[in-house]
Amino acid sequence: MDVKLKINDVEVSAQKGEYLLDVARKAGFEIPSLCHHEAVRPIGSCRVCLVEVVAGGKTSLTTSCNYVVEPGIEVTTDSELIHKMRAVNLELLLARAPGARRVRDLAARYGVSRPRFAPVDDNWLPNCILCELCVRVCEHQGHSALSTLGRGDQKKIGLPFNRPAESCVGCGACYSVCPTECILMKETRTNRTIWGQTFDFVPCKECGAPVITEKHRDFAIKNQELPENYYDLCEACKQAAASKRFASVAW
Amino acid sequence: MQSPGKATAPDQAVKTLVVIPRNCTGCRTCEVACAFVHSTGGRLGRSRIQVHPVGPERFVQITCLQCVEAACAKVCPTAALVRNPTTCALEVNAARCIGCGLCEAACPFGHMHFDTELRLAIKCNLCGGRPACATFCPHKALEWR
Repeated sequence: MDVKLKINDVEVSAQKGEYLLDVARKAGFEIPSLCHHEAVRPIGSCRVCLVEVVAGGKTSLTTSCNYVVEPGIEVTTDSELIHKMRAVNLELLLARAPGARRVRDLAARYGVSRPRFAPVDDNWLPNCILCELCVRVCEHQGHSALSTLGRGDQKKIGLPFNRPAESCVGCGACYSVCPTECILMKETRTNRTIWGQTFDFVPCKECGAPVITEKHRDFAIKNQELPENYYDLCEACKQAAASKRFASVAW
Repeated sequence: MQSPGKATAPDQAVKTLVVIPRNCTGCRTCEVACAFVHSTGGRLGRSRIQVHPVGPERFVQITCLQCVEAACAKVCPTAALVRNPTTCALEVNAARCIGCGLCEAACPFGHMHFDTELRLAIKCNLCGGRPACATFCPHKALEWR
């Protein structure tokens, strides 16, 4: 606890190197966000977590998720100006992702129901807000199978160079974290299709139910120190096996 | 952050969820209680405890063992499984979970679950120190002591 700062006139202490959004939330202040995830590095792309920071006599509006706290700063997490700026950003996001529940709900809280901006015609990945959370989560796991493609208004998310990616294991973490739920994933009993690639599931040795994708299992076995047979059975069959083992000691 | 996989030696005050299959009648009240307690947004949660029949009128309740060297915590790429220092339960920190599903596949006992709607890993957290399954078990087959 070596950095002292003020958030909404309340004295708050933080560790050196901590990000403002995390510090503020820990202290009980509410700041909205879409692209922030505690597990990965923040990049401030959705720009919904804007706050006002007074540092060295200068006031600035900045994204709190990637602002490293400094001693003596004074932070305001909500004001008329912040509200207005967040509303404009949400209006832009809503024009891009009208079908995203979280964007719609957040925009409604800021009084935005219909954006004045023309809807973005995105045939590549409808409702994607280009926050790159999927890219960061993939990179964090060590796959780096996703990246941005193109620049400017042509920017989109996909497999690097829009070619089949050997490094994708089909774990589906990008699908899980996407704040607009725009990533498509299809599952059958035997395989999972995501980003145009199909991955076979490891079938449960007892009942044939899907466990995880074969590539994800191979990646896990290579990188973790767990026995290989840990991925042989599905949840239900592992439970059944465990219950039989426990029964043998209970009676 | 403390190491997620290691539990500190529990002191005398720490209670344990004691599972006594001999007393279990297979009524599955624990499953219902668990689903109710873990409801989100008006939707019943998925039960973190399951009753398995193992023979004529014999049942075993299967729930997380809160392993000291937990496979789920070992494979988690984001250290989202954190030991609660008061209950010694391994809990999913939803803010850190990325929903890759690896923990579910790695748990050797089938106690990690994946909530397909929340897109998060879920597991028994001992209800933060007051497990509903033990509270509602009518046959003293689950005890918190």
